[in-house]
Amino acid sequence: MKKQRCSEKINLFDLLSEEIVFIILDCLNTNPFDKKSFSLVCKSFYITESKHRKKLKPLRQEHLPAVLIRYSNTTHLDLSLCPRINDHSLFAISKITSFTLQSIDLSRSWGFSSSGLLSLTLSCKNLKEIDISNAVSLKDAGAAALAEAKNLEKLWMGRCKMVTDMGVGCIAVGCKNLKLISLKWCLGVGDLGVGLIAVKCKEIRSLDLSYLPITNKCLPSILKLQHLEDLILEGCFGIDDCSLAALKHRCKSLKVLDMSSCQNISHLGLSSLTSSIGGLQQLTLAHGSPVTLSIANGLKKLSMLQSIKLDGSVVTRAGLKAIGDWCVSLKELSLSKCDGVTDEGLSYVATKHRDLRKLDITCCRKISDVSITHVTSSCTGLTSLRMESCTLVPREAFVLIGQRCRFLEELDLTDNEIDDEGLKSISRCSKLSVLKLGICLNITDGGLAHVGMCCSKLKELDLYRCVGIMDSGILTIACGCPDLEMINIAYLKDITDSSLLSLSKCSRLNTFESRGCPLITSLGLAAIAVGCKQLIKLDIKWCHNINDVGMLPLAHFSQNLRQINLSYTSVTDVGLLSLASISCLQNMTILHVKGLSPNGLAAALLACGGITKVKLQAAFKQLLPQPLIDHLQARGCVFQWRNKAELDPKSWKLLLEDTVP
Amino acid sequence: MDLKEGLRAETWAKSSLAENEMSKRISSNNPCFTDFNSQQYQQKWEDPSILDYDIRINPAFQEFNQPPQNQSSLPCDPTNQIKNPFQMNENLQTNKMQDWDPKAMLNNLSFLEQKIHELQDLVHLIVGRRSQILGRPDELVAQQQQLITADLTSIIVQLISTAGSLLPSMKHTLSAATPSMGQLGQFGGVPFPPGAGLSDSIQVQNSCAKKVSNQSNPIDLVGNSGTQQNHAVEEHDLKDEDDADDGEQLPPGSYEILQLEKEEILAPHTHFCTICGKGFKRDANLRMHMRGHGDEYKTPAALAKPHKESSSEPMLIKRYSCPYAGCKRNKDHKKFQPLKTILCVKNHYKRTHCDKSYVCSRCNTKKFSVIADLKTHEKHCGKDKWLCSCGTTFSRKDKLFGHIALFQGHTPAIPLDETIKGLAGPSDRREGNEATSKIGSTNFNFGSSVPNGTGVSDMDAKGES
Repeated sequence: MKKQRCSEKINLFDLLSEEIVFIILDCLNTNPFDKKSFSLVCKSFYITESKHRKKLKPLRQEHLPAVLIRYSNTTHLDLSLCPRINDHSLFAISKITSFTLQSIDLSRSWGFSSSGLLSLTLSCKNLKEIDISNAVSLKDAGAAALAEAKNLEKLWMGRCKMVTDMGVGCIAVGCKNLKLISLKWCLGVGDLGVGLIAVKCKEIRSLDLSYLPITNKCLPSILKLQHLEDLILEGCFGIDDCSLAALKHRCKSLKVLDMSSCQNISHLGLSSLTSSIGGLQQLTLAHGSPVTLSIANGLKKLSMLQSIKLDGSVVTRAGLKAIGDWCVSLKELSLSKCDGVTDEGLSYVATKHRDLRKLDITCCRKISDVSITHVTSSCTGLTSLRMESCTLVPREAFVLIGQRCRFLEELDLTDNEIDDEGLKSISRCSKLSVLKLGICLNITDGGLAHVGMCCSKLKELDLYRCVGIMDSGILTIACGCPDLEMINIAYLKDITDSSLLSLSKCSRLNTFESRGCPLITSLGLAAIAVGCKQLIKLDIKWCHNINDVGMLPLAHFSQNLRQINLSYTSVTDVGLLSLASISCLQNMTILHVKGLSPNGLAAALLACGGITKVKLQAAFKQLLPQPLIDHLQARGCVFQWRNKAELDPKSWKLLLEDTVP
Repeated sequence: MDLKEGLRAETWAKSSLAENEMSKRISSNNPCFTDFNSQQYQQKWEDPSILDYDIRINPAFQEFNQPPQNQSSLPCDPTNQIKNPFQMNENLQTNKMQDWDPKAMLNNLSFLEQKIHELQDLVHLIVGRRSQILGRPDELVAQQQQLITADLTSIIVQLISTAGSLLPSMKHTLSAATPSMGQLGQFGGVPFPPGAGLSDSIQVQNSCAKKVSNQSNPIDLVGNSGTQQNHAVEEHDLKDEDDADDGEQLPPGSYEILQLEKEEILAPHTHFCTICGKGFKRDANLRMHMRGHGDEYKTPAALAKPHKESSSEPMLIKRYSCPYAGCKRNKDHKKFQPLKTILCVKNHYKRTHCDKSYVCSRCNTKKFSVIADLKTHEKHCGKDKWLCSCGTTFSRKDKLFGHIALFQGHTPAIPLDETIKGLAGPSDRREGNEATSKIGSTNFNFGSSVPNGTGVSDMDAKGES
């Protein structure tokens, strides 16, 4: 302090107005550490940054009060990285942020009780959003506490299995302004609770009732909701045709309906339902009753329909044809894993719905080049095509995709016959951002080079088990796709450190999977660690040459790392202990790491303050002291003990070669 | 005994007009015992088991007369068929079975009626002879009794043989009732098989018997019975809900308004002698009493229970007014809503205008003025686990939610126990304090009407949740 005063230097940064600093801060979004660095520049920046930040995603509850006091304008508090939030933390939050807090996410946290929730809801009067999903031990008292948040608009409480109709009834009465509520998997909630929500909360826009034991009784009051737009009834086995037939109310506002896995609904129920919801835009009927002519005809009345998803259902030829004959023009069609999709049906649909933007024909194993020809010639505006494992489609057909569908942004060709010619053609899709080529055994570096050269917007590339790809292919990708965020080069046995060195230029890379690349060493990993500071997920299983030397730079540079798989590597206690310094590391898989001692493991786990999940060999369960395990569990860590024998990474390939001629 | 049990059970599963019909008939049969040793007679009437036993027979017969193959074997009497249209309707309403053949039922009913009429004639005959041989030795009495018993037995046997084939299909109805042995005491010497589904039906049966006898008072007074009987049935179906609006809109003047005095309503006896004012619980007893006032009351016609077939004069519908001035049920009220039966009047008056002197011995909170209400409550006391923030308890969750949906600001109240236990984790030392502070702040009204004791027991009952 004294020094500063004596120097009498004017800090130029202090002259910047707050508004300008705010604008600068608005641009610092890519790396969470950027803002931290920014705030350390000078006092004024520090203060301005504190005022600027609205959203907080803290790692530990211990520092929560201090952090909240510093960031006094926090409106959104995301606690999903804090495995444990006890009532004291909630008391602190409610005290400090009582006027500002609008949204809180407790979906990944546990350790709090209804009293903590109550203090939160009572003092934070501006609270509009609460995510309390996965609070499996939350009871009706907790729900009653939530009901005190009188201005609540959005509430997620999936998997709150102990909450019953009584608790939901409290919420229905207390939170009159609810616009969204998700009750997915709240198995204790039935017709009465849901019915009361529909009666009391007239503002509801979105209602997720998946897997609830509800029956027909609550449906009339739900469909009376004036503003209801999204209704998700996935897996509601209690709803059947009889009830739907009796529905008389027209719900004009409904736009999205999901009735997947509703096994007791046939075309009869659907047609009566569709006659009452004419304005529907998106319909999901995955894993439902067979899509026959009668179902398709029943859906004909939906004149506003844009998207239909029939994943996992049996689709008959007549049904598909009837879908083609609809007067509406579909934008999205999903037939993933639909039995009965043939060339004839799919071609017919494709020629009729020329405006199709998204098509999912994953695992439609009966279709051939005929379908692809029709799809590509009529649906030239496709932005997303997912066709994993369409095994009858010959390699020539993929050329058509590249030639005709220039607007593709997402393309899933996993497990297909595509070759370099196809890749060359596909590289014309300059907007491509997601490309999945897993288990495409016919492609080589030559084809991939075209992609690397032309698809500069590529963000996600999956080359899982593309055995023909070597370093040069990866090099072209690394050079041509600077925005790459995720790459999977698992089981590419010829990949060396040079690939990793080139990939280290992709500074946005956050997910790197190089499982089963035996030639990769610590050197390559160090390069990735230095270059890709935003790395979140790393899988280096079966990279035998990676040892502690790779871990040290990783621990130093990859401060965003959350998930790591170290199985079958040569890492020892030292490497693991160094990893523990990564403050946000949450998930570790450490199987068959020979250099690991129980003491080293114990020390590392103890040092890893934020760890939530560890997968370990069952042998360690006896070797680790029980009090340590108890302590870690109390901190919010889940142990998964595995007792798998050591595997050879080649075994899968051998199997594959046996089955695929 | 097995056969009897079967019959009884069937009867209890349904309470229908037939019971009333039958009890009427019994009272009309009654005079045949007039000349018996009067003490014996009295005993018979006081013993409800006999009454019940007889009542039981008829509805059981109704239900069992289903299989079409019986149709041919039974004599069909068209006149009898016509005689019983009302009974017919009742059957249509009450019988749930799908393969139910109304014609066969009608035939069987007629057959039964014929049989009973024969028996009735026989009894009349005996009565006629009795007046001459009054005071004869007991052997003759026994003989006549045997004769009647034999005839009755034949009817029962007929019934059972018809019903036998249908028994399995009746099991469903049987299981609907739940046992409550507390009720059984009322049946005196009649042995009851343990575990059989009895309770509710027994109560219905019992109250039905009482009601029938109660209702015969107005019938006696005004000398008509037909419609009165119908309404008695309705009332019977509604049970205690005398205040319930059943939507009946009789135009004013289309019915006669009777108003009993307060003393009359509250008197334990409802059948009063018009000559000396003595009160009786049962009309039949009153008729017995009337014999002492002169020979004109000794004729079979005077002693027989007034029957709808016997009444030929056009009668006005009877409705009742509450004597309490200002009451909506009082005839001077602007929006007067008449009460249908004497029983309605009694229950209404007690519930609305009297002290609630019966306190539930279990919760010591709930008070009732009608003892039947107390008994109903006691059956459910402690089971009312569905609690509203206003302090009202409900025995059924859907009733609570209906209540909450209806009223603004009411909310389901989570029992205290759960508030304390409802933690989302093993931590939390402050749970106790917080729980209590929570109650204060959420304004949950655990008022005096709902003591903590009940709350706790509610939770115990809840258990699984």
